[in-house]
Amino acid sequence: MNGGLVGRPVSRVDGRAKVTGAARYPADDPVPGALHGFLVTSAVARGEVVGIDTSEALAHPGVVAVYTHLDLPRLTVPPFPYCKGFIPLQGTAVHHAGQPVAIVLAATVEQAQEAANLVRVDYRAEPPTASIDDATEPPHMPRPFRDRPNEITRGDAAEALVAAEVRLEVRYSSPTRHHNPIEPHATTAQWDGDRLTVHETAQGVNLTRSVLAVAFGLPPERIRVLAPFLGGGFGAKGPVWSHTILTVAAARLAGRPVRLVLSRAQMFTLTGHRAEFRQHLRIGATRQGKLTALVETTTAQLTRTEESIFNESDSTSTLYDCPNVHIRQEGVPLDIATSSYMRSPETTAHFGLETALDELSWELGVDPVELRRRNHTAVNQETGAMIRGKHLLDCYRIASEAFGWSRRAPRPGATKDGDEYVGWGMATEAHTFAAAPANPPVTASVTVGADGRAVLRIATQDIGTGTYTVISQVAADALGMPLDAVTAVIGDSALPFASVSAGSATIASVTGPVDKAARSARDAVVALAVADQRSPLAGVPADEVVTGHGHLFHVRDRARRDSYRAVLGRHGGPVEATGSLPNAPGHSYGAVFLEVRVHARLGSVRVTRVATAHDMGRVMNRRTARGQVLGGVTWGIGHALMEHTVYDRHTARVVNPNLSTYLVPVCADTPAVESHFVDRPDPGSTALGARGFGETPITGVPAAIGNAVYHATGRRVRDLPITRDKLL
Amino acid sequence: MRAFGYIPVREPAEAVRAVRRAPGAAFIAGGTDLLNLMRDGAQRHEHLVDINRLDLASITDSTRGLRIGGLARMRQVAEHRSVRENFPVLAEALEASASPQVRNMATIGGNLLQRTRCGYFRDAASPCNKRTPGSGCPALEGWNRGHAVLGGSEHCIAVHPSDLAVALLALDAVVHLLGPDGPRHVPMDGFHLRPGQAPHVDTVLRPAELITAVEVPRRTTAVRSRYLKLRDRATFEFAVVSVAAVLELRGDRVRDVRLAFGGIATTPWRSPEAEAVLRGAPLTVDAIERAGRALVREAVPRRHNGFKVALVQRALVELLSGLGGLR
Ligand SMILES: Cc1cc2nc3c(=O)[nH]c(=O)nc-3n(C[C@H](O)[C@H](O)[C@H](O)COP(=O)(O)OP(=O)(O)OC[C@H]3O[C@@H](n4cnc5c(N)ncnc54)[C@H](O)[C@@H]3O)c2cc1C
Ligand code: SF4
Repeated sequence: MNGGLVGRPVSRVDGRAKVTGAARYPADDPVPGALHGFLVTSAVARGEVVGIDTSEALAHPGVVAVYTHLDLPRLTVPPFPYCKGFIPLQGTAVHHAGQPVAIVLAATVEQAQEAANLVRVDYRAEPPTASIDDATEPPHMPRPFRDRPNEITRGDAAEALVAAEVRLEVRYSSPTRHHNPIEPHATTAQWDGDRLTVHETAQGVNLTRSVLAVAFGLPPERIRVLAPFLGGGFGAKGPVWSHTILTVAAARLAGRPVRLVLSRAQMFTLTGHRAEFRQHLRIGATRQGKLTALVETTTAQLTRTEESIFNESDSTSTLYDCPNVHIRQEGVPLDIATSSYMRSPETTAHFGLETALDELSWELGVDPVELRRRNHTAVNQETGAMIRGKHLLDCYRIASEAFGWSRRAPRPGATKDGDEYVGWGMATEAHTFAAAPANPPVTASVTVGADGRAVLRIATQDIGTGTYTVISQVAADALGMPLDAVTAVIGDSALPFASVSAGSATIASVTGPVDKAARSARDAVVALAVADQRSPLAGVPADEVVTGHGHLFHVRDRARRDSYRAVLGRHGGPVEATGSLPNAPGHSYGAVFLEVRVHARLGSVRVTRVATAHDMGRVMNRRTARGQVLGGVTWGIGHALMEHTVYDRHTARVVNPNLSTYLVPVCADTPAVESHFVDRPDPGSTALGARGFGETPITGVPAAIGNAVYHATGRRVRDLPITRDKLL
Repeated sequence: MRAFGYIPVREPAEAVRAVRRAPGAAFIAGGTDLLNLMRDGAQRHEHLVDINRLDLASITDSTRGLRIGGLARMRQVAEHRSVRENFPVLAEALEASASPQVRNMATIGGNLLQRTRCGYFRDAASPCNKRTPGSGCPALEGWNRGHAVLGGSEHCIAVHPSDLAVALLALDAVVHLLGPDGPRHVPMDGFHLRPGQAPHVDTVLRPAELITAVEVPRRTTAVRSRYLKLRDRATFEFAVVSVAAVLELRGDRVRDVRLAFGGIATTPWRSPEAEAVLRGAPLTVDAIERAGRALVREAVPRRHNGFKVALVQRALVELLSGLGGLR
């Protein structure tokens, strides 16, 4: 009736505001009377602060205060999603270089920064350990994190491995990587008595609120967190980090609002990262390539204060049909900052699995796509339940046809074009998306005003993925209004509850409530119309009224029509409705096929062609979905070919904490991407057939690149990133 | 970043006087390196003398050669017709540098004086002999993938990052200076200094000396010149290894060749040994490979940068065989 906005490639409703600067990000607007904060961070990685001299800093023009552990009140260390295990400035212990040891407040940012340079800190330093290779103690298996075991056992993997017709044993490794959203983390904290308002670069306004409530012992209702726009998160702004807590504490001590923005260098020590990782994989298979055993032991970087493992082995455990599985996720504590989730947490271990399958395919002489087909499962490997609406096989077919995979040269190193070897590679993509917690329920509210326009309110976030656009499409369709008659208001914890925008959970968890609220609002307006003698629809049964384009029609006699505006105008006030609907976690899938060119003598690697196909249930908006694919492919290229945080072995300081030496792909590194979608509604979805998707693309890209490099050159690089020195 | 005084000037002599008089002063041109160094706390200045208004931005082309004003912008030089036609190696080196935005701001003088990208140098909390003399060199035993295999000392192995300087070195350019004692000129070969005992001194520039121009002698042979830059991503990145070559052939023999290298040495690196191997000899892959071996004879690879020794030899073969029509 409305022409169906959902599913159409609607352009971003906030696009214009973003490119013109009208969109205000959390650190954009001045706060009257606010002081600017800057953190003094530890030069050493392990040891103790034995003295701090703040006198010179305090004497610097504009400086109002310098707070250290001697000044701050004792705070409660919150559980996940605070992932540091300790709050700085609560004592003298130093756990990593770059840990805050003082916070300076001044009238301007420049004054605060310079005064931070003037704080003299004396340390008692101990030699730190900066990498897994240098760890003195053996890896151990930590306690379960978020109730998820670090050991998974199915069948008898050890025995199956011994009995296997074919065995493969491989080791992969991968360095630390940082999220590096373009917008730095920023907090503006304002106390009003015992009420707190925080403008925060947050992927979850409610999550931030709950963490602050624990840290400061406040009822959550007294805290309001706002994040109307976000300049990228990628997981870095999902957890709440120590600078947020310290800024809030400093504002309370100073009795004035405080704004603190992290420097790029500080983002390398204060906001989490993808942990350094080792993976030992043993595979048993039949000669036909059917998996019979998967034995995986991974080693991730931990810290001495926090032992959570974020580089999960979901793919090894669930992606393929294999009766005998034994996974151990281990770790070693290092003296660097705590790691955290990074788009997508599975990628690190997924690289090993998808590379190993490629290695197996060459060993067996089975095409890698065929090998994956033979191990495809329609059954949840963990629960044994049928997976409904899984179309991974279609992804292989669609993407391989689009790419022209059938023309692949049968041997590695066989195709040369000029000075370059050409290689093709593929991998499966898979991602576990999260469900919003059931309590409190995710709730949307829709208000239709006297002007006949609708306002949609929900405390979700748009982290750059297109939430504003997609929820506006959903509400407009449900109401039967044009897109521009709906205004979405999000990113504020004072709005009806929604959960964090992480784990690809946003659209999956908010679409149902938004749709339901909008339908209820529509029904309420229809009810008003049919009960109103002045309406052309007076007396029509409500279920014979349809809506579209801002109007209400009789289903059989379209000449009998009314409009939202007229109905609400006569009613004399707005109509509001709310809706809640839970969602369940699940998986999205895809396949990526790509081509690389490797310079025969100079080892330069270029990704020159990419085709993808994804199965994410119903595609709500092809344009924003494609944006996720482009971003994921680009990230995958960075992951495979360049991204790498370097720690000095002796000091455990980050050597490349800036975007000049921490390389991410530039446009010239990223080819055109041909993206396809299966686009079949998931029968189990409560989100109009959609599943969580955002983090799915990227998961297979690094392995596909490594596999293509092997096909091009016959060289298998098992240690990322694949830089030219490894190919010479 | 510390507050600093700002002194705009209009005349070169005035600029020199201003830097000489004001304590802790430095010239600021495009500011694309200086401001980052100051923000990172790697360098401190009480005063910045803004030289952007000096009349030193023109490029003049004469029979003697090309005279490029010290304040000419990288983009302006790269787009100049004579540079493109007669000195392609220069245009290529500039276009392979930084990003269009940086090239719009950055000047030729500033480019030659940019400081190393060594991560320890730019991290004010790390020791570094170049930044804080006598504090040590963590790169020797630390992360040194980007560091020099030639020209280093036990005090510093940092690479000079300029692409432009490498091209100018191959072109036998001369740097014109104006100092408190008047003007002088210094050949590019010798302008940058190896670290030796004093890694904090990058060049022969004396206090308050201003780069007024760079002169590139006219040589018809420079038409056959090229720059090859290898890096870890496609653009907007410093060289892992780079080669500038100017080649003059007579028949299949090398009449003259000038080779300069970036990314592998503590200064833009000229290799008389490699040139000597090729000069007068027929240009063959074998001869180029011998020249490459001569280039790296004294190389001192470290834990992470050993690959540069092989890579620079391959890059040389790649560049010269292309330039000489061998492939
Ligand atoms: C992100 C990024 C990427 C880059 N990539 C590359 C690259 O790939 N290749 C490359 O070669 N360079 C690269 N650069 C460096 C860039 O080319 C230099 O920063 C630039 O050329 C410096 O010129 P400027 O005019 O901005 O100098 P400024 O920053 O203004 O000054 C630099 C230094 O030179 C001094 N100075 C400036 N002009 C004069 C003068 N006329 N006489 C005496 N002293 C003077 C200043 O006092 C200061 O010490 C990059 C820079 C950035 C920021
Ligand atoms: S290599 Fe040179 S610049 Fe780098 S840390 Fe050592 S002394 Fe400093």
